[in-house]
Amino acid sequence: MVSTIQNTDVKQKDADLAVVVAVTTRAVFESADDDGGDVYGVGVAFPLLQALHKVNERLLEESPAESLLFDVILITTDDEQQQQCSRITGSTRHYGLEVSRFCFSSQEDFTESLLKNNVQLFLTTDRNEALRASQNGVLSALLDQQLASCPSEQLRVMISGDAVLRPDTDPVPAGQKGAQSFSTQLGQMRQKFGIFNSPLSIVLVTLHGGRESCGDALRTLRSRGVSVDEAHCLAGAPRGPILSVLRSHFLLCDVVSCLEE
Amino acid sequence: MVKMSLDPVQVMSGQVKELKVAPSSNGESRGSWEAKEEFDQDHLGLTTKPKPPKPENAVTVAVSSRVLFRTEREQKVFEQKGVEEYLRYQIEHETEPFAPGPAFPFVKALEAVNTRLRELYPQSEELFDIVLVTYNHAHVGIRLINTINHHNLFIERFCMTGGSSPIGYLKAWHTNLYLSADADKVREALAEGIAAATMFMPEKLTEVSETQLRVAFDGDAVLFSDESERIFKAHGLDKFFEHERDNEDILLDHGPLKGFLEALGKLQKKFYAKGQRLDCPIRTYLVTARSAASSGIRALKTLRAWGLEIDEALFLAGAPKGPMLEKIRPHIYFDDQMFHVEGAAEMGTVAAHVPYGIAQKYTKQKTSVGK
Repeated sequence: MVSTIQNTDVKQKDADLAVVVAVTTRAVFESADDDGGDVYGVGVAFPLLQALHKVNERLLEESPAESLLFDVILITTDDEQQQQCSRITGSTRHYGLEVSRFCFSSQEDFTESLLKNNVQLFLTTDRNEALRASQNGVLSALLDQQLASCPSEQLRVMISGDAVLRPDTDPVPAGQKGAQSFSTQLGQMRQKFGIFNSPLSIVLVTLHGGRESCGDALRTLRSRGVSVDEAHCLAGAPRGPILSVLRSHFLLCDVVSCLEE
Repeated sequence: MVKMSLDPVQVMSGQVKELKVAPSSNGESRGSWEAKEEFDQDHLGLTTKPKPPKPENAVTVAVSSRVLFRTEREQKVFEQKGVEEYLRYQIEHETEPFAPGPAFPFVKALEAVNTRLRELYPQSEELFDIVLVTYNHAHVGIRLINTINHHNLFIERFCMTGGSSPIGYLKAWHTNLYLSADADKVREALAEGIAAATMFMPEKLTEVSETQLRVAFDGDAVLFSDESERIFKAHGLDKFFEHERDNEDILLDHGPLKGFLEALGKLQKKFYAKGQRLDCPIRTYLVTARSAASSGIRALKTLRAWGLEIDEALFLAGAPKGPMLEKIRPHIYFDDQMFHVEGAAEMGTVAAHVPYGIAQKYTKQKTSVGK
């Protein structure tokens, strides 16, 4: 059973023009050391939500009538959490999170909820959920534990250079279409800010390829109107040390292969 | 008639997937076959590029774009007109490769050594690995890549930080040596224990070898700590000699470039092991103001105790270093004193300043050297 509740504390975005990002409740709220109180603890995705909020804030500063904003929805993907409906909405209000809707669904039908809500990016800490969502055509990215130490004043999105160059097959697989259009929208948002002091930073990371891949990725992204701030080309170097300095919130790529790594 | 299912554009971009051959005129069918290798964007042409080594196995040299190439004009645009104009200028001139900078001959020589190492040890990852580390915005990336292609450099790894400090990344890349035009970044790196030096473009450049890498080091405050220099600065030459004589058998403490010399030594030994001592493509030099008969002894004993061989030790006993360096023709010379760096540059040697130790408090620059 899938149900959606609006958060009346938050002004609703224009659904057609906003960029809908769904984050799982499990990523946002910490239920591990649950003392059963009214309010959940802060989860790994907190800085991410704050960063998304920051981008919206700055976009509206630049243009108060802006409609290209992030529309954040919290999605609950298991039955147990469904029971906690009021605790979830209560915690969201408590922390003042800019969440416009709550979607309650179960393991079986959460992908339905994603599609119904026109979700353009699904963020979860659960690899299987991410795989399932992407198999159903929803762009997904995996959130990991280091997210907790990411900045909250700047949204840092990593784009995989190795994935940007997938040969354009006909028809374009749904997962890739999603990645392309999301990155294009990010590019549009990025344009609204100057070079320095931007609340959004787009980071190109080429994990496997070398300079040709990197150069082509930069050119391809530029042709889509995506202007990259940082570029890191690893050419097969171990990614851990570099990614931990990068501190990006999530990685965008041609989903399935990235999630399988 | 051979029917190709590829069009030229696909072949050029390396996306070779399948070659279909139609039956030949005498009726023999040839069948179809698939390309043996999956080509990705980096396997253009007939020769496959060698795989870059793991940074922790290699001797990683991080160079900034301002020392690898000449970017004075662009720097001026940045300083006079601001960052937006600077980036616009870079993009506008994207297809114009930069000219070689002070670190260019050094990097070319590193690649020459790599070629020799790969011949002798095809499976080994003990090679030089070059990473372009710049706090440039990625907008400049395409121009940098075009330039690297133009000069046929083998650089596959980049770190364009878009304005944030590169220091954290230097560690992540296991950097053995960092070369930059920015003295502050160099000082930061040294403070983090990474060998680093500031480079400047000399007005004239003497020709250096394309087949043998030559690296020259000052002794005090470069290979060794600045302890003796402190004595000299505080108490004068006589006291310095006395101190060195008294402490002849006590090892000097290590300086910021000791590790790099060590890394070079390890690679040299690989050539010696294959009987290539005389023809070794790496040669190291100590160029010090110490004198051979006295204070130089302590330096040599220290090096020996560290198990470090240096090919040539030149004790100048205070004589100017410029002429000696002009004879040696190193690709790079490391010194902690700007006075010597400038003296070397005047005679066409690429000298790099290591802003370490007590000499920094006594800097007497003859001319103001721009970044």
